[in-house]
Amino acid sequence: MSLTTAIPFCVALPLIIAAVLALASQWIGRRVCDTLAIGAAACNVLLALVILRGVWSHPLIYWFGNWWPRPGGVALGICFNVDAVGAALAVLTATLTLAGLIYSWKIFEDTENHFQPLMLIFMAAMCGFSYTGDLFNLFVFFELMSVSAFALCGLKTLEPAPLQGAFNFAIVNTVGAFMIVMGIGLLYARTGALNFAQVGRSLGRTPADALVLLAFLLIAVGYMTKAAIVPFHFWLADAHAVAPSPVCVLFSGVMVELGLYAVARIYWTIFSGTLAAHEGQLREILLILATLCAVVGGLMCYAEHHLKRLLAFSTISHAGLMLAGIGLLTPKALGGFLIYVLSHGTIKGGLFLGAGILLHRHQKIGEDHLHGCGRGMWWTAALFAIGAFGLAGILPFGTLLGESMISEAAKSLQQSWIAYAFVFAEVFTAGAVLRATFRIFFGWGEPAPTDKSSRVEEKPETEETRQRTPAAMFLPTAALILLGIAIGAVPQLRGTAEGAAGVFVDSSHYAQMVLDNAAPAPPRKAPEEPLTSSIVRSSVAGALALALALGSVFRKKLAPALNFTRSLELGNSALRAAHSGHPGDYVAWQSLGMAAIGGLFAWLLH
Amino acid sequence: MLNYLAYAVAAWVFLWGLYGIVTSKNLVHQVVCLAILQTSTYVLLLAIGFKIGGTAPIFADIPVGTPVVDPLVQALMLTDVVVEATVAALLLSMVVKANEVAGTVDPEELRILMG
Amino acid sequence: MSSRQRTTLFLIAVAGLAPLFAWGFRNLPPMGDYRGPYGYAVTQVAVYERHATDVVNAINYDYRGFDTLGEEFILFASILGVLLLFRPSGDDHKGKKQAQVEDALPVSDTLRVGMQAMAGTMVIFGLYIAAHGQLTPGGGFQGGVILATVPLVVYLSGDVKTFEAIVSNPLTKLAECGGAGGYAIIGALAMLGGAHFLTNFLPLGKTGDLFSSGTIAVISVTVGVEVTGGFLVLMRSYLREIIEERLQGEE
Repeated sequence: MSLTTAIPFCVALPLIIAAVLALASQWIGRRVCDTLAIGAAACNVLLALVILRGVWSHPLIYWFGNWWPRPGGVALGICFNVDAVGAALAVLTATLTLAGLIYSWKIFEDTENHFQPLMLIFMAAMCGFSYTGDLFNLFVFFELMSVSAFALCGLKTLEPAPLQGAFNFAIVNTVGAFMIVMGIGLLYARTGALNFAQVGRSLGRTPADALVLLAFLLIAVGYMTKAAIVPFHFWLADAHAVAPSPVCVLFSGVMVELGLYAVARIYWTIFSGTLAAHEGQLREILLILATLCAVVGGLMCYAEHHLKRLLAFSTISHAGLMLAGIGLLTPKALGGFLIYVLSHGTIKGGLFLGAGILLHRHQKIGEDHLHGCGRGMWWTAALFAIGAFGLAGILPFGTLLGESMISEAAKSLQQSWIAYAFVFAEVFTAGAVLRATFRIFFGWGEPAPTDKSSRVEEKPETEETRQRTPAAMFLPTAALILLGIAIGAVPQLRGTAEGAAGVFVDSSHYAQMVLDNAAPAPPRKAPEEPLTSSIVRSSVAGALALALALGSVFRKKLAPALNFTRSLELGNSALRAAHSGHPGDYVAWQSLGMAAIGGLFAWLLH
Repeated sequence: MLNYLAYAVAAWVFLWGLYGIVTSKNLVHQVVCLAILQTSTYVLLLAIGFKIGGTAPIFADIPVGTPVVDPLVQALMLTDVVVEATVAALLLSMVVKANEVAGTVDPEELRILMG
Repeated sequence: MSSRQRTTLFLIAVAGLAPLFAWGFRNLPPMGDYRGPYGYAVTQVAVYERHATDVVNAINYDYRGFDTLGEEFILFASILGVLLLFRPSGDDHKGKKQAQVEDALPVSDTLRVGMQAMAGTMVIFGLYIAAHGQLTPGGGFQGGVILATVPLVVYLSGDVKTFEAIVSNPLTKLAECGGAGGYAIIGALAMLGGAHFLTNFLPLGKTGDLFSSGTIAVISVTVGVEVTGGFLVLMRSYLREIIEERLQGEE
């Protein structure tokens, strides 16, 4: 299968199959529909792998409708700019969707066969999002991704909580989408083009004026809303608490990360020239935002006792770390971001599926409610513990490699304090998962305090016998967590990632490739530095996480000096009150965040 | 100044739409405010594509080369309008279901997930 | 947060956002002074390259046809989502619904006759708009919406049985899914000849003819079919329980 056939089919094939499945939904049985959907997802994994292998060493530009750009560099058609970064994200998308669809084999909820086509459309949208090279096409796939996500989130209609979660998700994300459209409009007014390369070349290196800055602000805020960066993050916990587990896998595993990918892509192809003079200040702003995100996410993660909300806040915290990877604005950090996304996505996906297994076996999802219920589920407990250490980024996980690259890049820019943000996030998120593991699977200590939300959604997703975990649920969970380890074992991964990132950030060469049909430059493989300082840092983080978890669990038996762990678990009341469940609050915070970041832009970058 | 009136209208409608969503006491009202928010993007796009003295970009009865307004923003808007209708339908279906299951359409009362 | 705190927070945000917008929009080219290359480039070449007189639709279904495929699937996914959310559940809260459906008011003769007379004209008008997408303003999306309101007009005239017969016909679902999948398949068919996805591979005909501009006309009709089917399916899900009540009441 040639690359030029594989690339459009990676997006078109799941769409066609979804249409066929929707048409036949009344007449084919549930199992037939499931099998066809799993087959389609598996085909997509193969296509995405073929594409990744094809663009490993040089990107490929694919013009739809044979509309190659005109002389003078005017692009009338839409292009896909397939490079290693986008192709890797598409492989991640397809793999997570496949795992989710296999897992959902056991979910009994009767969706009249509409769930499977929506999952396929979701996957196709995310694949298209990773490949595209056009501003409005990016937005169209963003909307397609969002709409499928809203519908999948509100799937369980017999309870009011899923409807609240899906509605909050929809309102906040759609407001973000409209900001993106405004930003695109402003860029179009200035440059008269929608293609990344053409807009970037048109903006060139002229220093950014107010219009360009406002466009960047609007587009970045819109995509950061999808990426759940504080203060645009409030929707994520509500959506994750109520979405079915396979859908949560996709949300936390790849959808959130794609928002960050979009910010990086748009910055490097369009704004890196005009904002070049202000790179240092922009870096500061993004790093501050990233740290805030990591801290708030970590604190709220530790304060949650609904397993899925806990994992959702850990995603927010790690999204902050990934924003740091982008915000450092260097190829090395970007390469670290890529590796971090790949390994975090699989590990987080495995943890969500594990939470789903607990929901299946015991019809409960609150840490307090599940206390001691997991005794005997040794394999699931092992997966949870391994996943927790994966979040802490210790050897041999891929997250260690990602963190090391980001920290090295930070050190070379005199921003080495970002490593402390990593440690903070790792301690709190891994500590929270370990704490939950100890309480649920070993029954240690006393039951956890009850949250307002920890009882939500305690209805089983599955109907069958609850004495064993079905293979269809356990195997994808184990496979995903093992993939997180396997990514760390790929030889020369850091060098390759940095090389791919080097191609990603080279905007002038990108413009030549797209508009002038120039040949792609071969990526240079960067030298890899030793991992020792990262291993030390992450081992300290892992040990601290373990200590924190044990301290929380055994607080009463051990010294009263550990009482601070209780206040950590109960959380800051002001912070919790901010997560009020009211969509108006969320949009108010979104507006305030945009005003604040806009103010910083206006002051520092102008 | 008048040249920029359309842009000011777009910003004005955008901010009022946001205000409506923030202060709303009814979920249906919030969805309608979201639709109003979207119309501000239409106003902005169409104002950007306008050309004084230009006519519609339909060459059925005028020769090619007559000044016309920009067709691209119209193309973008066209599909957006129909998409907005169906996305609003999806959101309203959530509201209908919420009313059926929880008995309320007030976001203050429908706050089961929080903290 | 209380309602007052929320409003205050938002007003603080507006105090920052409004000046930001003003500061940024100041640098936009004044309205009426469109400068960008895209509009000029495409209006010069579209008629010659694609024999289509409606440049907006040429952009929609040809130059940027891939975007429209995505938009069409957004429509499809939203409708699938509504079907998913409105799927009949176990007990269906029948008690609540029955209390809400009142007896339908008797429909006046003027309304009934007028609506049924309009229905025929609207069908023809909708088909005309959808079929002439490449020539005049209109096309699939617009024609599809016009066609989709015809059964609604029939419903408003009081004829619930015919409305139910139209929207629950399997052809409606076929129209919706076939339209969506059909667009993607047309794009894939272009690849059989070795071209890229969504290349215009049908003969272009003479400018101004009904059968001109190749796949633009075909895609326009496909989109029209999908939009019609989609909106009918949508209306059915929303009105399903009320129609069942009304039909039971009539028996």
